[in-house]
Amino acid sequence: MRQINPVPIIFLLLFFLSWQYSGMSFIFVGNEVITRFIRDGVMVLALLIPITAGMGINFAVTIGAISAQIGLIAIIILQVEGFKGMIMAGLLALLIAFFMGWIMGLILNRVKGKEMITTIIIGFLGNGIYQFIFLVGYGTFIKALNTEIMLSRGVGVRNMVDLAEYRNILDNIWVFQVGGIIIPLFMIMLVISFCLVVTYIMNTRMGQKFRAVGEDMEVSSSIGIDVDKTRIQAMIISTIIACFGQLIYLQNIGMLNVYTAHLNSDIFSAAALLAGGASIKNAQVRHAILGVFLFHSLFIVSPQAGQNLFGNAALGEYFRSFIAYGTIAIALVFNLRDKAPGLELCINTAELTTSGGKDCR
Amino acid sequence: MRNLTPHIPQLFMIVFLLIMAITAVAAGIPSMRLLNDSMIRLAMNGVLVISLIPMLNVGAGINYGLPVAISAGLLGMSIAVNFRIEGLIGFLAAVLFSILAGWVFGCAYAGILNRVKGREEIAGIFIGFSFVFLMSFFWAVAPFKNAAMLWPIGGKGMRPTIGLTAYFEKVLNHLWAVQIGELILPLGLLAFFGFLGWLVYALFKTKLGLAILAVGENELFARLAGININKTRAYAIILSTVLGAVGICVYAQSYGFIELYEAPLMMAFPAASAILLGGSMGRKTSVFHAILGTFLFQTIYVYTGPIANTILVPEVSEIIRVILSNGIILYALLYEGRGKTYETN
Amino acid sequence: MLKICGISKSFGNQEVLKSVNLEIPPGEIHGLVGENGAGKTTLLNILFGRDIIRHSGGYSGEIYFDEQKVQINTSRDAIELGIGMVHQEFALIPNMSISENIRIGREYVHQPSEKILGTALALIDKKQTREEARKILQKLGVNTDVNLKVLDLSVSLKQFIELAREISRENLKLLILDEPTAVLSREDAQAFIKIVKEIAEKGTAVIFISHRLEEVIAVCHRITVLRDGNIINTYQRDQFEINRIAESMIGHSLNRASRPRRVLEEKSIMAFRNFAVAMPGELIEDLNINLYQGEILGIAGLSGHGKLALGKGIMGIYPTAGHVSIGERILDTSNSADALSQGIYYVPDDRRETGLLMDHSIMENIIFTALQQKNRFLKPSLFSLMSRIDYPASTTYSINSIQTFDIRCQNIHQKVSTLSGGNQQKVCLARALAMEAQILIVSEPSRGVDIGAKARILEALSRINRELGTTIIMASSELDELKYLCDRIVVLYEGKNFGILSPNDDDLTFALAFSGKRKEELCVI
Repeated sequence: MRQINPVPIIFLLLFFLSWQYSGMSFIFVGNEVITRFIRDGVMVLALLIPITAGMGINFAVTIGAISAQIGLIAIIILQVEGFKGMIMAGLLALLIAFFMGWIMGLILNRVKGKEMITTIIIGFLGNGIYQFIFLVGYGTFIKALNTEIMLSRGVGVRNMVDLAEYRNILDNIWVFQVGGIIIPLFMIMLVISFCLVVTYIMNTRMGQKFRAVGEDMEVSSSIGIDVDKTRIQAMIISTIIACFGQLIYLQNIGMLNVYTAHLNSDIFSAAALLAGGASIKNAQVRHAILGVFLFHSLFIVSPQAGQNLFGNAALGEYFRSFIAYGTIAIALVFNLRDKAPGLELCINTAELTTSGGKDCR
Repeated sequence: MRNLTPHIPQLFMIVFLLIMAITAVAAGIPSMRLLNDSMIRLAMNGVLVISLIPMLNVGAGINYGLPVAISAGLLGMSIAVNFRIEGLIGFLAAVLFSILAGWVFGCAYAGILNRVKGREEIAGIFIGFSFVFLMSFFWAVAPFKNAAMLWPIGGKGMRPTIGLTAYFEKVLNHLWAVQIGELILPLGLLAFFGFLGWLVYALFKTKLGLAILAVGENELFARLAGININKTRAYAIILSTVLGAVGICVYAQSYGFIELYEAPLMMAFPAASAILLGGSMGRKTSVFHAILGTFLFQTIYVYTGPIANTILVPEVSEIIRVILSNGIILYALLYEGRGKTYETN
Repeated sequence: MLKICGISKSFGNQEVLKSVNLEIPPGEIHGLVGENGAGKTTLLNILFGRDIIRHSGGYSGEIYFDEQKVQINTSRDAIELGIGMVHQEFALIPNMSISENIRIGREYVHQPSEKILGTALALIDKKQTREEARKILQKLGVNTDVNLKVLDLSVSLKQFIELAREISRENLKLLILDEPTAVLSREDAQAFIKIVKEIAEKGTAVIFISHRLEEVIAVCHRITVLRDGNIINTYQRDQFEINRIAESMIGHSLNRASRPRRVLEEKSIMAFRNFAVAMPGELIEDLNINLYQGEILGIAGLSGHGKLALGKGIMGIYPTAGHVSIGERILDTSNSADALSQGIYYVPDDRRETGLLMDHSIMENIIFTALQQKNRFLKPSLFSLMSRIDYPASTTYSINSIQTFDIRCQNIHQKVSTLSGGNQQKVCLARALAMEAQILIVSEPSRGVDIGAKARILEALSRINRELGTTIIMASSELDELKYLCDRIVVLYEGKNFGILSPNDDDLTFALAFSGKRKEELCVI
């Protein structure tokens, strides 16, 4: 008697319709989807644990993405090259992500029940501070060691930073073709290994605690679980996974769009996860994988479909943005509907109580 | 002794403003012009901020779905411009159309928000975001005829920014403007703003206003007093939406442009932080909070602009505004969340 | 095993536990009984380190466990000491399976993964966890599929799962049972109690709380009665007498004045037919009574037996069945506006939660309902919704009310949250008066009110009744005030009308009625 979630089916239908009108070839769409799966898959996985821990969608995965970018920019500023640079950037990024995750966990423990809105605001605030540091700070209060990436005015990092040194270091391992579709096996396995890590965590004692806390904080506390600590752990893990996700994304693209690369990583990941059939309270790895495919395939074809249908590609873009935000809005409206207080009692209890009492007399 | 913790953002802002003012004087920026600017910006943004009050007081939180109201206002103004109604009449016509559109949008919005009681803020954010793109779709195909609103090439779909010079640009700003030395007092604008403020103030002295406050403070109490909760909430949400629609009209006439498409996307956040900065603690927010908050917030914007230009990093003004507005909202969230575990038990 | 010395606890300025001492040796089943608000729950919350205690400023006094002085800050601390608790409201995770719930935090794990990654990140051995859970349930005589989600289970099964979780802890030394049998059928309750006795025989101390006094008497070795945060008495086995215990729970006060009885015409103005209210923990079932014009009808009974549910049911806060009629008209109990329009007004027992707008002024609280429902205190206007409040009229009325009810305040614009409990209650009554109610339903009118104010509130109720002819239904846990005011007293037992007693009946009759017994049955015990 399991209910079938209609959302993935709707996405599939939308994709199919848009694809028909876009006139794009299957091979082209297939290749694009695989690329998107590699680029965005891990970021979607970052959302799972906070949802399980009852904190809703973690829109502050952007902070994890920013951590990754800070790591990379720092290494470029210090001019460490090649594989060594990549490793150093990764370590630095993870360190920052760990710290930011911990801070965010502390913050979210003070705003229980309003986690999602808080993560959105944290994301915006973090973005502002990040811009301030690199657009205003670099060259003023941060010493400009590398002048190549500086804006011509002498203050601030350029909008585009080339990651040629690190571009596609991993992408080109074990790549082969099947009927025109390029399959970078190593990268796919990398993303899948993250899926496995998340699945593993869910099956440990820590994972059980996430589930318990996500269901009911008060009960969890009264059966001896340290609720606050568990929630902080969830945020740290989520931020670290998001950081990994952004590192993979950037090395795939090969260019760092300093001020925009991290934007919307939260919205698109969240929409993808929900498209895969997850809810605000329950999300599994399979939802993430299915969602990335469904959401990004629709994303690829919709501008062209808009162009062909209405003679205006912008319409397709509005449409897909509407789908992204609308999916989240609909999920929020349907998942957060409150139960009327006082109505959830059960008459059975009543009958049991009274009959029990009668018998005792 | 009074507890100062909730006022930390206010104190911080005032100190920050003082530093800005001193810097501005030191940098030789004419202070009268800045004062003028901040007065105009107060009235220009103030209505949007005031529009948050009914929803705050009914307990629906900050209206992060402000883009819904703004879209209604944009639609109202577009209709007025489409019929080429000019001058003050044009502006009043735009306001009238906006009120109608706001009422329709508000009804739908209230219907949705009544299903997500207690989580209106997060739902509002995404309802607002997605509505902006739904409207973008509409703008691209809207059957308006006035060429000044359409793309010059092809003549189909609305322009992202529509100049209002020929219609009602600054009609309120120039209405009854009195010049005293270097200071220009835009009496018409201030009067219109004051009138709307008085309207909201007077609302909470009526039967409906009292019911709204009661629902916001204690739903169970209101229910025991025979009040229809959902209906009262709907009235408040519609009122907020209508006021927001009027608010964007005031904003646009002062700015001189109607901005369509993605422009309304982030407009809820500065308004939210302004009202929080004014000292709003959720329920029982007064018009005074809104005015004080808007004044502080907009004055900072007015001051940072020229200073940023002097130090040759023009983005700094916008960045500081983003940091401040989100910082204030985050502080308010943290302050509100303090000791909550105890209350819920 | 457990010894507590001078435990006190206050919420705000309300003292709910006043220097309580208690000692429980190993293997003893100790009963803890008391009315609602006596402090039982608070005492348990302290012992089990519930968050609410810490967040409201902790407790004072000392707890000794195993001769060691201990500080219990969190439930985690309590569990580590060996304290287990079966919660009244079920501390189970609904979307987890039975076995996951029983072993939560103590799951069996695969050894190699534990060695490499530590306990937190060790992979759970689901098979063994299930197996152990099944074994422990079998010990309790429960045979069920341990993979079922707790969500889908019956309440009695949930109760056994909680017990299974607690007794499966290797270090369990003290078991707290909070109303464990309330949701169980008779057979299940007996099975449950049998297990509890076995646990106690093995040396585990047990604290047993129940509102079924017969059960407490049958199970416990000693019984402690709490009232108003004080320990009234601790009874040894040979002193167990149900009416004595019930009497000491209700308590006596010095004010035993009686009022002249009056003879009222038995003219029914309101009738309950098969009326039932589904209020959790306070159910009313199958109530059939007539309310006579001009009387004060008392509703009595121990907590949990339904006396608070009547008003809440009529005002539509909880779902109801059967019907209530006013004359010929059947009341719509889903909407409080209907009751209000029929001249019924309800003064709730939980003033802070539902009775007052705490952030508003005395005046606004007094005029509110009449303004909304009867359009009193409004200036005439085209649309009644938009009509402005008539401040002069409201002010005059409020000042009059303050004098009539003797509300102690600075002025009518003072926030009600700053008033004392008694004055808040008077504001509630003033609001009822502004409504010109025909029938007034008051619930616990003197709860949280000091003695002086109590007398004035009772006096005010009496005046409303005699001078204005308002019919009153009054639910109270204080027998004295019911006897003082009421013309008839309905005693509810297990949600049903046990009988209508006269205020002249003696305390023993009431005490017996409260525990579901009649005087003639006394010899049976």
